[in-house]
Amino acid sequence: MEAVFFWVFAAGLLISASALVAFRNPITNAVCLVVALLMQAALFITLEAFFLAAVQVIVYAGAVMVLFLFVIMLLDVKEEARRKPPWAKIVAVLGIGGGAVFGATKIATLFPFSGKTLQWGESKGGGSAAELGRLLFNSYSPLFLATGVLLLVATVGVVVLCRRDPES
Amino acid sequence: MNFGEITLGHYLALSSLLFLIGLAGVILRRSLLIIMMSLELLLNAANLALVAVGRFQGLPDPQVAVFFVITVAAAEVSLGLAILVAIFRIRKTTAADQLASLRF
Amino acid sequence: MLAYTPYLILFLPLLAAVSIRFFLNPFPRISVAVSTVACFGSFLGSLALLFSGSGEGVLATPALPWIEWAGFRANFGILADPLARGMAALVSGVAFLVHLYSIAYLQKDPSRSRFFAELSLFVFSMLGIVLADNLISMFICWELVGVSSYLLIGFWVERPAAGAAANQAFLVNRVGDFGFILGILGAWALFGTVHFADLPERVVGMAPGWAVTAIGLGLFCGCLGKSAQFPLHVWLPDSMEGPTPVSSLLHAATMVVAGVYMLIRVLPILELSQTTMMTIAWVGGFMTLFPALIACQQNDIKRILAYSTLSEIAYMVMAVGLGAPGSAMYHLTTHAFFKCLLFLAAGSVIHGCHEEQNIWKMGGLMKRMPFTVFVFLLGTLALCGIPPVSGFWSKDSIFAATVHHPGLAGLSMIAGFFTSFFMLRMILVAFTGEPKNDAARHAHEGSILMIVPMAILALLSLVAGLFPVERFLGGTYEDGHAAWTLWISLVLALAGFIPAYRLYRNASHDPLDVSFLRNKFYIDEFYQRVLVRTQDSFAKLADAFEGWVVRGFLLRGSGVVARASGQGLRLVQCGQVQVYAAVFILGVFFLIGWLCRGGVLR
Repeated sequence: MEAVFFWVFAAGLLISASALVAFRNPITNAVCLVVALLMQAALFITLEAFFLAAVQVIVYAGAVMVLFLFVIMLLDVKEEARRKPPWAKIVAVLGIGGGAVFGATKIATLFPFSGKTLQWGESKGGGSAAELGRLLFNSYSPLFLATGVLLLVATVGVVVLCRRDPES
Repeated sequence: MNFGEITLGHYLALSSLLFLIGLAGVILRRSLLIIMMSLELLLNAANLALVAVGRFQGLPDPQVAVFFVITVAAAEVSLGLAILVAIFRIRKTTAADQLASLRF
Repeated sequence: MLAYTPYLILFLPLLAAVSIRFFLNPFPRISVAVSTVACFGSFLGSLALLFSGSGEGVLATPALPWIEWAGFRANFGILADPLARGMAALVSGVAFLVHLYSIAYLQKDPSRSRFFAELSLFVFSMLGIVLADNLISMFICWELVGVSSYLLIGFWVERPAAGAAANQAFLVNRVGDFGFILGILGAWALFGTVHFADLPERVVGMAPGWAVTAIGLGLFCGCLGKSAQFPLHVWLPDSMEGPTPVSSLLHAATMVVAGVYMLIRVLPILELSQTTMMTIAWVGGFMTLFPALIACQQNDIKRILAYSTLSEIAYMVMAVGLGAPGSAMYHLTTHAFFKCLLFLAAGSVIHGCHEEQNIWKMGGLMKRMPFTVFVFLLGTLALCGIPPVSGFWSKDSIFAATVHHPGLAGLSMIAGFFTSFFMLRMILVAFTGEPKNDAARHAHEGSILMIVPMAILALLSLVAGLFPVERFLGGTYEDGHAAWTLWISLVLALAGFIPAYRLYRNASHDPLDVSFLRNKFYIDEFYQRVLVRTQDSFAKLADAFEGWVVRGFLLRGSGVVARASGQGLRLVQCGQVQVYAAVFILGVFFLIGWLCRGGVLR
């Protein structure tokens, strides 16, 4: 069962990600991103990280994508124009990608994985909100507070950036 | 490649592929908005790798990290889009190759 | 107390020079007085030194410390042996007389404060050379004397010829000093000391070889420059551009003989090599005749005397080369008296004829300036070596030293013939006959301040032959007047008067016309063509090198390289965010790879 779910959602994720990169219409891209995020949430569930899956859907797919869509609407972003393919950049990406894969295969031998397979039920509730909350508010509470400050700063920054200059 | 039994390696390979796709998007697309969406893909790839390692090693701590990553990503997207809007108001374009004045 | 007298002698004139230069320049009368009194003070001090004790032996004087390393010692010390004491008395005495003379000679000159300051500086430096106890401090004073000479020759700054002559004097001296320094360094390297007192012991047992000869010749180079011997003699006649007191003091009596004095000081080194001694003797011998020939066709009264100075110094140099330093010092002393006298008299003549120096424009001065002419005649007799005047005794002792070297004897005796010839030529043309010039017609004697020094010097020229001067001069003095040198030299000297009398009595223009003598054997032209042009082309080469290599390649080149590399690196900043992102991620991959290989991430 675990395998089936994994392969289905993995394929979905990869296909939607590729579609995001390939299509030119911004709305198409936004929808593909939403699909990718949902596939990602599903993969979180296969990994028994239920709270995170929920956070992913609520925050990422719910808030961040809404922001994107608002901006698309606000700026009236048009379909990206056809252009001759930027061969230099394509070659660069392929080169970087190929090199990364090659390097990864080399590095992978350095990290002996235990070969454990995915078995649902083994994590014993490690991904629940209670467990996460315990860690968050005890061990990582300073970081948590810092994140709060970060969000405050972001809010202030956004407000400042989007001010229109007073028409003089 | 084992199809029946899923190991940590599968998840990490998936995460790497997703990362490379996101990288391609950042480098190859012209519109800043799409570039930002590809950035989200990069972050998601990292999240996936973190959670997978945490699950297979029995550690709950990576999930806390993912929590923070998602939060920061949200803040980053909001600010990034605000900057995008500000640039668009002045330059009337969001093409990455036309916004290249920070040069020699 | 007596031990500090040498410092008194040395520093009084320096004090005078410094105070005039910095404070008393606007007060000429006070400057003149200060300078003269300081010189007199030095003279008194040297007399005290001279007659203290028995006059023998070295006075122990504490030295001013300077360089004291392991193995090398060079302090500002004083070596007050009989040689130094006699020479100090001579220098300060003659300088004092010249001071008195200059008061009158320059009384109308507006810059006479500067003159007396420079004169005091000279007296200090010359005494420094005389009293020095090692080659290094002597060399310092050697250079100071050169500076004083430069300042004094070029005293009349408005005359370009004077400035050029001063430059020439200093530069030619510098050439000699180059050899001198090499000699000093060689002496230190080979003998381990530069102190004169240590030399006699250090040279014992040293075998003569090329090193010793080279060192000796190097030291002799210093003498060539300072005492104006061939080939560095060219500056002395041109130094006559300076005021006559300067010519008499520096370029006749004292400075030019510093070279001879130095040779005597380092004689232990020179004596080690027969080659060195013979070279010195033959250079001296050649130089007795060479300038004497040139003087036969010169028309400026001071230049004639300058060439005769060259010849007389050559006698001294030859004597040193022949191993007779006592004779050299004897002649040095008598020459100081009569040559200074001759120059002062010439100055009196020039002054009386209103700055005229050409002998063909004078004439008939015997009746108008009798005293001057009389002392001039006395000086001439001394110069030509006619008994019983002092010059005869000193020149004869030198001739006696040439007994075993017939070539040198021949050269120097024939030089004596020509010396008599040109001196009588000069006297006949300048003093006898009819005045050829309005100024000569109204010539008159100078003031008492000019007459008294001349009188004193005349007296000294007369009687210096009778004193047992060798007692005060140290060194050995060959008492054997071998008879044949005495007679032959005397005959030749007297014979020189005859053709001069025949040719120049009542002559209104020069019957002889020998151009290569008149043009000084074209040596100046030779130097100009060969040396000066070579120096100029070398200078142009150095300039080209500096322009192309240093300024162009190194300076501008490094600028070009910096700018080009900057331009190259600038291209990295393209402004394209995606390029930056790609490079960034590439860097991150490399970093991870490197860390993994280092085993850090395990």
